[in-house]
Amino acid sequence: MADRQLTTLLTQLRTPSLPFPQSTTLLSKAKLLLLQLSALTPSPIVPPAHLTLAREVYELGALHSLRAKNPDSFTRYVSQLQPFYELPPQSFSAPSPNQNKVTALWLLFLLTQGRYTEFHSDLEGLSTRGSVAEVENDKFLGYPIKLERWLMEGAYDRVWKAMKKGEVPSEEFGVLCEVLTPQIRREIASSSERAYPSLPFLSAQSLLFLDSEGAVIDFANSRGWVIKDRTIYFPTAAELNADEEGEQEQEKEVSQMVIENTLGYARQLETIV
Amino acid sequence: MPGKTPDKEPVDNGGYRGGNNKMKATKGKKGEDEKMTVVVPPSKKKDAEGDVTAMDVDEKAEEEDVEEKTVGDIKSNFALLDRAVALFDARFTLRALRSVSSIRKRLTPDILAQAISETYTVTSPGAEIAAGLLKAIGREEVRLGGGKGGNEMEIDSESKAAGKNGAKKEAKEIIPEVDVFFGILTQVLLHDNKQWQQGLEFSRFLIEKVQALNRRTLDSLSAKVYFYFELFAEQLAPLPPSSQSPIVAIRPVLLAALRTAVLRKDTDTQASVIVLLLRNYLLTSHISQADLLVSHTQFPENAANNQVARYLYYLGKVRAIQLLYTEAHNHLTAATRKAPSSACAVGFSQTATKLLLVVELLMGDIPDRATFRQPTMEAALHPYFLLVRAVRVGDLEDFERIVAQHGDTFRRDGTYTLILRLRQNVIKTGIRMMSLSYSRISLRDICIRLHLGSEESAEYIVAKAIRDGVIEATLDREKGYMKSKEVGDVYATREPGETFHDRIRACLSLHDESVKAMRFPMNQHRLELKNAQEAREREREMAKEIQEGDLDEDDLGGEFEGM
Repeated sequence: MADRQLTTLLTQLRTPSLPFPQSTTLLSKAKLLLLQLSALTPSPIVPPAHLTLAREVYELGALHSLRAKNPDSFTRYVSQLQPFYELPPQSFSAPSPNQNKVTALWLLFLLTQGRYTEFHSDLEGLSTRGSVAEVENDKFLGYPIKLERWLMEGAYDRVWKAMKKGEVPSEEFGVLCEVLTPQIRREIASSSERAYPSLPFLSAQSLLFLDSEGAVIDFANSRGWVIKDRTIYFPTAAELNADEEGEQEQEKEVSQMVIENTLGYARQLETIV
Repeated sequence: MPGKTPDKEPVDNGGYRGGNNKMKATKGKKGEDEKMTVVVPPSKKKDAEGDVTAMDVDEKAEEEDVEEKTVGDIKSNFALLDRAVALFDARFTLRALRSVSSIRKRLTPDILAQAISETYTVTSPGAEIAAGLLKAIGREEVRLGGGKGGNEMEIDSESKAAGKNGAKKEAKEIIPEVDVFFGILTQVLLHDNKQWQQGLEFSRFLIEKVQALNRRTLDSLSAKVYFYFELFAEQLAPLPPSSQSPIVAIRPVLLAALRTAVLRKDTDTQASVIVLLLRNYLLTSHISQADLLVSHTQFPENAANNQVARYLYYLGKVRAIQLLYTEAHNHLTAATRKAPSSACAVGFSQTATKLLLVVELLMGDIPDRATFRQPTMEAALHPYFLLVRAVRVGDLEDFERIVAQHGDTFRRDGTYTLILRLRQNVIKTGIRMMSLSYSRISLRDICIRLHLGSEESAEYIVAKAIRDGVIEATLDREKGYMKSKEVGDVYATREPGETFHDRIRACLSLHDESVKAMRFPMNQHRLELKNAQEAREREREMAKEIQEGDLDEDDLGGEFEGM
């Protein structure tokens, strides 16, 4: 009875274009039904068919909340899915078509949040799902892995190409890529500040992947760059001044450190001898 | 020793007589132990007894064949265990455990069964455990009591003996430590015979026993019991890293053991179980759980050196995966240094060194060439040597070829994912080499030399390298080149001072640790005091006699003889 209702709910939920409020109500209904089936969390007594249903509810929930740009809800659904993914395949009636997709989205989500530690911990966990080559060649799982590698190297142009429409493995990835875009731009900006003494306008536009000159000016202003004769000058002089003051302080610190250390050695020597 | 005749020796070894409740007996013994730790002379007597037993066993062993000798070796450990309980000193237990590795080579089910049957009698309180032991090794039919005469007769002689000197007999009871020691031998045997399933079941049985006993003198033994428990679980199908492996199922048992060990201040078990749990989590790649375990537990400070080394290794691995390379480096360096230098632990040193090498590379350092020249390591480290060479030169093509070529080795070592992260380091080193060699180089050349794919990528990568402080340079966008800044003098910075300070600190902490590690036998100072007092008295006496003038050379010699 309850599982039939659940199946109908799931067919409704499977339409990706469902508006968020509607999907939320459907999802909460589905979760109530799961509670009736006592399949909200996996336990050995739950029959495989119910577990499979429960898993799909959470997976769809995760995808829907991502489309609705609700990171908290996405995190919740993914953590609820973890115990399901730990189960052996024979406890489900069918393998999940969405498992790799959800995992890949989660990895990408961690990247956008800058949670590299967790990203790598989870990546290590993927080795239980198959060989490294298998994981990397997977359409979904390979994507965040490649992005991370390029980001670490600094090959931003490749990241950019991979994030363009049509290159992403599915629509949900696009949502996360939108979050990633300004972050990458910030990264590029901070490295350009240090690397170039000055930068012509056009180059800046292509470097930062901005659409128009207006956008460049806005961006330059937001970072406090000086624009003169269609060229951007990075604030090096001001920084140098700040550095010099810092150096003097540092010098003081160094001498203090040396004195402290030497006194420490003397004390220790006394205790030893 | 009254009432003891040589032909009754095996019976005496056979242990406890009388129908006392076991718990009671244990308690009574415990009280005695405590007294013994304070008073020195009785324990000395105890030692002598232990020696006698060991000697008798040895004598017998010489006459018989290898089988007998092994049984004898096993039994000789009981004296050590006895002494450990009496003196409350874990060192003797450890010495007994150390002999396991030599006994191990000769151990067969028959030998073990014989040793058990000679040690236990049907009536002894350990009989239940003994039956469990025999069942585990498939020798249920062996009768307890050593087969020397009928059981009834033995009981008769025992009851007589008990009637004569009951107090003495109590001391000769089979202590639970012996039970557990047999348990460990059984585990070792099952492990060597690859009987994983039986081993796991038997370990569960043994763990229940150990937990019920709750004796501090069992601590180092129970640590070993858990160790084999984990080993058995690892060998059962489905093998890790599958998430259905039995090692997942034994986690609750280990966690419970950890909690109990912490509450009982049982550092041996605590250290050992923490290490096992970490190993367990890492086998199934549950990095975050391992991290949580580390953050929620405190590794005992005075744990055994081997456990510390293992703990540091696993901790280093977790930190390396979490990108905390500096921490990982510290832990792994300590682990490799703490690893025993003998040949038996060469596997551990190799594994730890491999991981250390990768972490060093990830930190941007180039490992010392001498590491690869050690004779015990050379062959095992060869793929890593090639890897280091590629990273050092900054040759991306070479690097990728080596990774592809030795991928299986790296995967087996569990370093593959870490090595994949090295790609960026190779690029960075390449850029650094180029920045050092050329004062000005076009992005196009960088791109060609590092095989970067496109000039655009090269530009971004170089810019990032500049920001990360890898090189000191500037980029010129219009002309498309990288211009290196002049390298500053390292000695003008605070770096040498910091390095110096680090080294001194390491030396000082080494000194502190060595002071802490010094061991003093319990109550030894009292003995010395007593001796000193005696000596002083003797001197005084002598002085008195000299004063009185009735002492000449001969007398003096006679005096000494008498003493």
